[in-house]
Amino acid sequence: MGANATTSVPSYVAGEVLTAADLNVTNSGIPVFADSTARTNGFGGTGEKTLAEGQYAYLEDDNKTYVYDGAAWKEVGGAGLVLISSTTIGSAVSSVTVSNCFSSTYDHYKITVNGGAGSTPENLQMQLGASTTGYYDMISYINTGTPATPLSTGTNNGSIWARVGAAMTSNIMADIDLGSPNLAKPTYFRATYPYIASNFPGVAAGYHNVSTAYTGFTLSPGSGTLTGGVIRVYGYQNS
Amino acid sequence: MSYKIQIDDTIREATSDEAARIEAQRAEAAAQAAALDAKAAALVSARQKLAALGLSEAEVAALLGG
Repeated sequence: MGANATTSVPSYVAGEVLTAADLNVTNSGIPVFADSTARTNGFGGTGEKTLAEGQYAYLEDDNKTYVYDGAAWKEVGGAGLVLISSTTIGSAVSSVTVSNCFSSTYDHYKITVNGGAGSTPENLQMQLGASTTGYYDMISYINTGTPATPLSTGTNNGSIWARVGAAMTSNIMADIDLGSPNLAKPTYFRATYPYIASNFPGVAAGYHNVSTAYTGFTLSPGSGTLTGGVIRVYGYQNS
Repeated sequence: MSYKIQIDDTIREATSDEAARIEAQRAEAAAQAAALDAKAAALVSARQKLAALGLSEAEVAALLGG
């Protein structure tokens, strides 16, 4: 426990003589607890305040501030997107697996890749867990040459999502929104497709028609290797 | 062929099973890319033939998109 942490939020009575320790608890402002268990134990006991709506608390284990709404503790000012993991891509790797990034904490995720380079311009592919079946997707893009030509294609029950981003020699790029990967339901995605090497801007979307919960994923180029860049996984706050 | 794979912060050589999976997925991606290339080539050919029939660029675009 830190210097400000307490195990009890006291309630004083008229005429009570306060000690320095009593005043120090009061002076800490928002009461600080080691964790949610200590917070629960800090209210309602003998000589302690009764927990009521509007009470604030800070937890040391997650470095967050909470307010009690009369029924439950709610995080104060919680970000909409929470960074879960950040993985730096190594040198000349054919695939990168990010493990244990999906959990029951979030239903929806955002995966981004920036920096680094592909050894050759290629599509960025994605696999959920160890699953190699049930992938359906569509890619729609425009060949911006003259005349501009719209093209589209898709994958029907493939072994992988074939285009969730682009591994260019200038930058590895992906911005993937992923729904329900950790629920025992089909997973779905939407992504940008910035295939700069051929002047192909586009979008991709699809689903994985397997009702299994996954905890991780693998990104790989269609050929060649990846070097450098960072894969970040964010969770969308459920509430 | 050997492949280096990364799992979180660890990089190692792919096992034979993992290498086979990588090759299968790459073959699938290559087949899809080839199909898309063929589709693009067919579109270019169709544009040229329609233009030879006297259709304007706007009329071709209305028929084929773009």
